[in-house]
Amino acid sequence: MLKDYLPRDIYNLIIKNFSFNDITEIRMRANENIIIVEKNKKFYLKNENGDFVKANTLMLENFINKATDNSIYAYNNNIIDGYITLPKGIRVGICGTIVADNERIITVKDYQAVNIRIPHFIKNCSLQAYDSIVSDEVKNTLIISPPGSGKTTFIRDLVYQMYVHNIAKNILIADERNEICSVVNGEAYANLGGFCDIYTNCSKKFAFKNGIRSMRPDVIVTDEIDLERDLEYIIEAINSGVNVIATIHAKDINQIKKKTNFDRILNEKYFNRFVVLSSDEGPGTLNNIYDEKLNCIYCR
Amino acid sequence: MKWVLIGVLIIVIMIIAYSVSEQYKDKFDFYSNLKSFLNQFKINLAFKQDKITEFLNKIECKRQFKIFIEAYKEYLNSDTLNLEKIKVLDEGEKAQLTSIVKDIGKHDARNELNQLEGFLLEIEEKLIKAKEDKEKICPMIIKLSLLFAIGLAILLI
Repeated sequence: MLKDYLPRDIYNLIIKNFSFNDITEIRMRANENIIIVEKNKKFYLKNENGDFVKANTLMLENFINKATDNSIYAYNNNIIDGYITLPKGIRVGICGTIVADNERIITVKDYQAVNIRIPHFIKNCSLQAYDSIVSDEVKNTLIISPPGSGKTTFIRDLVYQMYVHNIAKNILIADERNEICSVVNGEAYANLGGFCDIYTNCSKKFAFKNGIRSMRPDVIVTDEIDLERDLEYIIEAINSGVNVIATIHAKDINQIKKKTNFDRILNEKYFNRFVVLSSDEGPGTLNNIYDEKLNCIYCR
Repeated sequence: MKWVLIGVLIIVIMIIAYSVSEQYKDKFDFYSNLKSFLNQFKINLAFKQDKITEFLNKIECKRQFKIFIEAYKEYLNSDTLNLEKIKVLDEGEKAQLTSIVKDIGKHDARNELNQLEGFLLEIEEKLIKAKEDKEKICPMIIKLSLLFAIGLAILLI
C-alpha cells in the first residue's frame, strides 16, 4: 500500500528491515532520521551501510503529492486539520507552515513532518468490556485513554461486536477525522458490521443534529470529544433517547475529573459507564470500568 | 493513360496539401480542447473537487488531445510526462504544457483557481494564434496546392 507513496528506496529498506504487519508508525521529519515504530518500539531506519536515513523537504512534498493523488485541493480541508486518510485506513499527520488569511487557515505549505499511522484491527479487544456496556440496552459510555492507547481500535471493535451479537440497533458513527471507519471513496475499510451509518469528515455538531433527524439512530458513536465544545450536542442526543458512546483523551479517571464540564456529566448522570484504557499490555488494555457514580465495577 | 496519371498526381498533391493543413486544424482543436479542459477543471474545483485521476477519467476526447490525456495519466503513475507523441506542438509549446501539468493539483482550491486563470490566459493567446493560422494558412495551402497541381498538369499535357 505505502509502496505507491513512499520513495522506492525508503520503502525497500522498510520492508527489508521490519515486519510491515507490526509497524504502527513511520515518522519523517525534514533533515532528521526516519523513525519506524514497530511493536511500540522506536527504531531509526538505516541503509545497507548502516547509516541513518534522513528525510528531506522534497521527500515530504513528493509524499504528500502522491498521497493526495496530485490533488492537494481535494484534500485541503483535511490538510488544514493536519491529516489525510489513505486507503486501508492509513492516516497521515502533517506538520508545516500554516498559511492563513486573517484568522482563517487556508492551507499548509513547506511540510516539515509527516507521521504515517498504520492501523491494526484487534479483533475482540472490546469483548471484556462488552457486557458492561451493552446488556439489556446500550449504555452511554465514555472511553478514556491517553493518545495511542487504542481508543479508536476499541470502539471500532465494540461496534462490530454489537453487530456480531445482533443487537439490531441503528448505529450512527460521527467520524469527524475518518479514524474510526477509514472511508475512502464511500467504502469503509474497517469491518464494522451491517448496522452502521457513517458521517465522515464532518463536525460533531452536524453529525449529531442532522444524524438524529435524518438517520434515526439508536446509538451514536464518536471519537475524541471535547467536553467544552461538544457536550451540548451530546446532551441533546441523550435527551432525545439516543445512546452515545464516545472517546476522550485523559490518562485516567482522576485526570478526567479535572476537565471542564465533567462534574456536570457526573451530576446529571449523562454517562453510565466510564471505560479506562491504557497501553500497559499493548494498545487497548482494559484498566477499569466505572459506573455512573464512579464506582469501579472492573479493575485490572 | 496520361489523363489517369495526371488525375492521380492531382489527387496525391491535394492529399498532401490536405494533410499539411490538417495539422493546423489539429493544433487549433488541441488548444480549444485544452481551454475547455481547464475550464472544466475550474468547475470541478469550484464544486465537486474530484481528484485529478477521477477528473481525467471523465474526459472524452479524440486525436491529439487524447494522446495528451493518456500522457497525463501516465505521468501521475510514473512522474514522467512524455509529450513526444503530440505532433502538433513544437518544443516550446511542449515545455509550456509540461509546466502547466506539473503545477496542477499542487495547491488548495483558491490558489489553484488563481493559477488556472493564468494558464487560461496563456492558452487563450495560443488559441488565437492557432485560429489565425488555421483560417489563413489552411485555405492558402489548399489554394496553392491546387494551383501547383493544375500548373503541373498543364505542363504534362
